[in-house]
Amino acid sequence: MEPRWKGKGFKAKALAEPMSKIVSQLQSSLIQSDAHGLLTGCTVLIAVKPEQTDLLDRACFGQRIVTAEKDNEWFQLGLEEAFYLCFSLKCLKVVGDDKCPKNDVELWQCMISQKPNFPDFYKAYSHLRVKNWVVKSGLNYGVDFVAYRHHPSLVHSEYAVLVLSEGEDEGNGRLRLWSDIHCTTRVSGSVVKTLLVLRITNNGNDVASPSCLEKYTVVERTIRRWHPEQCREDNMIGENRTKQQEALGKASLKTKFTQKHDVKLKPGLVGIERGLSLVSISLVFALISFIVSRWFWSN
Amino acid sequence: MEAVDWENSLGVSSDTEEYLQDTKYEDDEELHFTSGIISKLQFRKDKSRAHWINEMGMAEVVENKGKLWRTMGVVRSGKVYYSIEETLFLMEIGALLLLDDNGTSLSLNDIYAKVTGGSWELFEVYRHLKSLGYIVGRHGIAWSIKGTKSNCQSVSLQCSPQSSEVVNLESEDESSIVGSFNNMHINEARPVFDVYLPDSKFRKSSPGDPSFVICLTRGDLPSIADIEVLERQCGAIPLRFCHVEYGRVSFFSFNEEELPILP
Repeated sequence: MEPRWKGKGFKAKALAEPMSKIVSQLQSSLIQSDAHGLLTGCTVLIAVKPEQTDLLDRACFGQRIVTAEKDNEWFQLGLEEAFYLCFSLKCLKVVGDDKCPKNDVELWQCMISQKPNFPDFYKAYSHLRVKNWVVKSGLNYGVDFVAYRHHPSLVHSEYAVLVLSEGEDEGNGRLRLWSDIHCTTRVSGSVVKTLLVLRITNNGNDVASPSCLEKYTVVERTIRRWHPEQCREDNMIGENRTKQQEALGKASLKTKFTQKHDVKLKPGLVGIERGLSLVSISLVFALISFIVSRWFWSN
Repeated sequence: MEAVDWENSLGVSSDTEEYLQDTKYEDDEELHFTSGIISKLQFRKDKSRAHWINEMGMAEVVENKGKLWRTMGVVRSGKVYYSIEETLFLMEIGALLLLDDNGTSLSLNDIYAKVTGGSWELFEVYRHLKSLGYIVGRHGIAWSIKGTKSNCQSVSLQCSPQSSEVVNLESEDESSIVGSFNNMHINEARPVFDVYLPDSKFRKSSPGDPSFVICLTRGDLPSIADIEVLERQCGAIPLRFCHVEYGRVSFFSFNEEELPILP
């Protein structure tokens, strides 16, 4: 599926402003201002300066909260977003009820206590973010995340992402039944997204500290409905093969023709030769019939 | 009974009929299979004739009519054998007259009764793909012995007086596929069919690599670990996972991919 840009020239616009650049601008700006977030339940609240508002918007982190406060803009970050800024980009510190900044391990454990499958979700989120995909919640589409090629104002999301945990326990119960597959591919298909399953394996590592993330493995798989009635032509598999076959077909036709008519094939002349021979044969026939009829009538 | 089944199986593809009308066909017979309306089932005056061999669970062809046999049946020792799904398919469309040992013709009812356990789903998959013009063979079973590695062996055996025994031995191998499908564990996925795109130049002696391998599961969908095992088994040939329920046949691909690293 090709990326669906939302307007003309948006592709060039996205190319001119790569997401990696925007994110690193955000990173250095947040480091400079020594940004602090406040963990409340499953969100992290952060007050930022107006120029950072713009960067957070463009990098697609969090959601703006409209307040009457004049000096600060407030943003609310999801757990994965906040942890990405803290742990991966090292540009945000998060404080809890005790007003003390939490270290990575403390924050990690806080997140897990809020959301037991946080390690797998975070692995999935950071896996895509590291590749500079924009990752947002996929709840609207019945999936865990959606992935955008660039800012959602420029392009539609391409992938509906499901996180599939496969650890020692039974995993997170995603896609267990055929009806799950039908359901998810149907919904993703109807909103023109490809279903992407990220299979996270923790390889038996303890989740006590976020350093275990390094040992996690992620396998990307796309699940698509295959319609045999639409794939009967070879070009669905590979155009090259079709071209080869066409060429082969033409070649075999040529040889058949030469064998049948014993004609030396010279490009351009074949038609003329055939035409001439046809004309001469018909002339001979006309002559014969003329002579025969003359002879018949004279008798 | 058969008419109802036929309709059900094609109801699945009804939303794509528009597409089907656009495609060009080289083979007239294909057109009839794909058009999906009962009344368009071709009237066949000349039926092929085959002899049902119970021990093999296959039909030995006595006389072939039409063009269907070019892409159906396996050739062993100069004889063509139809598997049960091929036999069923041909009988449903009225292209085959099936005889028993005494030379009396078997009815569709007789042959339906021979379909046991999970092989009905197998047949539904076969019929679905076949009626769309695909060339479908059992996974891993050679279309003909000629040209395969066992070439010299089969030639020497062909000359022996007990050539029928050879066929039996080989077919044991083949019927074991259906047999083992019946014995499959619930939730086990298994490659069942090799599928080739519709191709009027198809030759059983040189079929080439199939375009897809169809995998079928009983019960729940395969786990990703199962899929990985099957992928290793089938090498570079893409897999399609099939799900059959209430006469509806649907296929899915579970392809491993790697999203690009964006700028």
